[in-house]
Amino acid sequence: MALLSIENIRKEYDGIIALDRISLKVEKGSITGLIGPNGAGKSTLFHLISGVEKPDSGKIYFKGRDITSMEPHERSTLGMGRTFQTIQVWGNMTVVENIMAGMNQKLKGGMLSYGLWLPRIRRSEKGALQEAKEILDSLGLLGKWESMASQLPYGKQKLLEIGRALAMKPDLLLLDEPASGLTLNEIRHLSEKIIHIRQEGVTVFIVEHHMGMVMELADEIAVLHNGELIAEGTPEAVRRNPEVIEAYLTRRSRDPHSTLSPMEKVSQYEIKKK
Amino acid sequence: MVETKKNEFRKRDLFYLVPLWLLSLIAPDPYLYHKKEFKKKDLFYLGAIGLAPLIWSDPHFHHLMVLAGIYAILSLGLSLFMGYAGQISLGHAAFFGIGAYTTAILTTRYGVPIFLAFWASAASAAAIASFIGRPILKLKGYFLALATLGFGEIFLVVLRESTDLTGGVIGIFGIPWFSVMGFIFDTYLKQYYLTWGVLVGLFVFSKNLVRSKVGRALLAVAASEDAASSVGINVPRIKLEIFILSAAYAGLAGSLFACVMSIANPEAFSLGLTVLIVMMVILGGMGNLYGPIAGAILLTWLTDILSRYQEYSLPAYGMILILLLIFFPDGIGTRLNVRVIYLIGYWAKKKKRDEGKL
Amino acid sequence: MSTWTYIPQLLSSGITIGAIYALVALGFVTIARASQIINFAQGEFVMLGGVITFFFLKVMNLPYPLAAFIAILIVILIGFVMHLSVVYPLRKASIVILLMATLGASIFLSSTSGLLFGTLPKTLPPFSGERPLQLLGVSVLPQSVWVLISTLILLIFLYLLSHRTLLGKAMEASSTDPLGADLLGISRNLMVFLAFGVSAGVGAFAGILITPVFFTSYSSGTLLGLKGFIAAVLGGWGKNSGAILGGFVLGIVESLSLAFIPAGYKDAIAFGILLLILHFRPKGILGSPFMDSRRW
Repeated sequence: MALLSIENIRKEYDGIIALDRISLKVEKGSITGLIGPNGAGKSTLFHLISGVEKPDSGKIYFKGRDITSMEPHERSTLGMGRTFQTIQVWGNMTVVENIMAGMNQKLKGGMLSYGLWLPRIRRSEKGALQEAKEILDSLGLLGKWESMASQLPYGKQKLLEIGRALAMKPDLLLLDEPASGLTLNEIRHLSEKIIHIRQEGVTVFIVEHHMGMVMELADEIAVLHNGELIAEGTPEAVRRNPEVIEAYLTRRSRDPHSTLSPMEKVSQYEIKKK
Repeated sequence: MVETKKNEFRKRDLFYLVPLWLLSLIAPDPYLYHKKEFKKKDLFYLGAIGLAPLIWSDPHFHHLMVLAGIYAILSLGLSLFMGYAGQISLGHAAFFGIGAYTTAILTTRYGVPIFLAFWASAASAAAIASFIGRPILKLKGYFLALATLGFGEIFLVVLRESTDLTGGVIGIFGIPWFSVMGFIFDTYLKQYYLTWGVLVGLFVFSKNLVRSKVGRALLAVAASEDAASSVGINVPRIKLEIFILSAAYAGLAGSLFACVMSIANPEAFSLGLTVLIVMMVILGGMGNLYGPIAGAILLTWLTDILSRYQEYSLPAYGMILILLLIFFPDGIGTRLNVRVIYLIGYWAKKKKRDEGKL
Repeated sequence: MSTWTYIPQLLSSGITIGAIYALVALGFVTIARASQIINFAQGEFVMLGGVITFFFLKVMNLPYPLAAFIAILIVILIGFVMHLSVVYPLRKASIVILLMATLGASIFLSSTSGLLFGTLPKTLPPFSGERPLQLLGVSVLPQSVWVLISTLILLIFLYLLSHRTLLGKAMEASSTDPLGADLLGISRNLMVFLAFGVSAGVGAFAGILITPVFFTSYSSGTLLGLKGFIAAVLGGWGKNSGAILGGFVLGIVESLSLAFIPAGYKDAIAFGILLLILHFRPKGILGSPFMDSRRW
């Protein structure tokens, strides 16, 4: 039984079909990648999975439960962590509080018991702080645990965001373009981190523009083009799929910062790695 | 070299430094407000609150501080809603009024003991908040402000018009003093300890909230609702909860206000009060619990001084509000503390420079 | 039966006050379109228009049109000064700060007016005659007709200003795409400055129209301003047409409600409508171009 399965999703915006007949399975314990040129519908699909938007038709199952009409926070409590394409770290809190806020749903007790600072609350808060520090340690951010999150550099904020999602102890981690805006060095560090996360038993689903990273990490890759799934399979199979090559070559990336097509980016990335 | 000349620490900065350092002892550290544990400084504040009326035993001062304490309770609640959860409310004067009128009606009409009426005020304000909160809190920004303002205005109209229940424009007189188990708070000094005692209790409660899970959830909602729901925080629910809590604070404050003034009439709960308490929260600095109390003391004191100038008081008040907002948009404490930190930093560097290390 | 005989009468006074709400709403929208700021002192411009005209007419004994003209000029000047002294220094502040600053300005303007011109309610003579006209069996004050006609003329003028002149287009551009307008060399701050002048002028004009019908006192501006804002939200926030429609709808509903509920509750009607519209259709009757933006 797949951890996450999407069945026959369709989504329209004002008559324009963003996604059509999408079916996808994410197996437990895998790293699954979703790639596709800009405007292919990756973000829409991501929003549908995380619950920010609802599909027009079709079903989404998570851990065997129908979550199609659930709110984002309900999905999160079921064990679905996520990061954002544009960083959404809470800059008004310290680094460690960001992580601890990620654990919020595990901490029990109502407002009254927190206001009265009952002994069990004291213990659970202390435990949460300890746990948060351990997570920060594994991310290499422990040195800055007391500084405001807004003062961290961009790359560290990305890591912090992943740490926050991990603090929920999710079964599925959704990463929305984790590599965007990072330097190659940081991307390599992030890749190692993702492999490490998988080893701890968290299933990872990556939506990424940066093909090289996905090709290297993912067990399974799905390719989205013009709102339709055009290929699915292992990285090797996807790379050789003629439809994929077609999609990437005919439709150049609309990324304004880059004149390279994603395929060219891949080759560049690989060259630089060597 | 031009740069160092500009940044040079001048001797006259010392004149700023001394009073600012003293102020920074008294004023909270909004810049370090994320260090949320209780500290020795809190004991110092507690002692100051306890001793101040004994040292300065002027009844007018006591009365002023009673009012300041009541407003501080009100703005403490509002600061949870505005400063932490990042929402806007221009309707808290109405919850204040609901608390005052609940106490007034229960004690004068039904002879309910004041101690029970006190808690009933919080409960009624909270109940109404939970009723109107659900539709209103979906809104953001200006529309939220407008909707809460609308609620406040409707409340005022109802107060004025339902003469049978509220006494209309004249209001309700003869509300008894606050009393617990036969002990009557009938002097300003006793009332001072009553209001500030309630305030300290609520402050500790709020501080416990903001340094725990609840505070983190609130700050998360203020910074990014999407991210908050991505870690499983139920955003509408936490907003509603904090709205209800802050309304309950306002209800308690209103009840105390009714006992202290022994009168409740609609004039006291108009838009002017809303402006006043929102200003207290802003001047104290958003996202900081000490600030609203400092802001309450400052503005109560300011309005008292201004009220001596009769018809000139309102124009001056409006002008001062604007000036304060322009010069201290992040709260007075923040600006002062930043200045202190800045100066100390330069002084430290100056020493190092003299030693040739920089 | 007796209630229903009042209805045409109430309708006519509803339309009169509706025209004023529409003008106030238009003032809000003018500023909001240029800067996404809400000026809570908008109602004070209306009050000042009436009060200053009264001052020049009755105290200085100037002819009516001249007094009105001077009053409008002064209020426009006040609008400019308010932008320079309150809004411009706070242009980067959060909305709570801006909100409180304009409320502070509102307190300042209303109390200063009370101080300078006295706190008694004032009324101006009607533009022409006091004898009610009989229109379709309803007695209508000539001033009501004046209000409607003048509102119409002002609306046409504003329409031409915003759609037919370069200035109007520049204003539009700086509100819909501030960055793009900046790149084209349109100064956003200048546009907001001008918008404050326009909205102050419109407000003062409304004040002069309304003072002969309803009394104007130093404190009547705040409520009028809030109702104008409600009208703008009701019709569709950010749209001129919405502001006008909302103004008339609000005026008529409020006036008709007098037939069914005690007069004291009249002020609650507008806010009740506000809560309902915000709950069920926050973008207003005609829809709002601003609703996507997070600020609203």
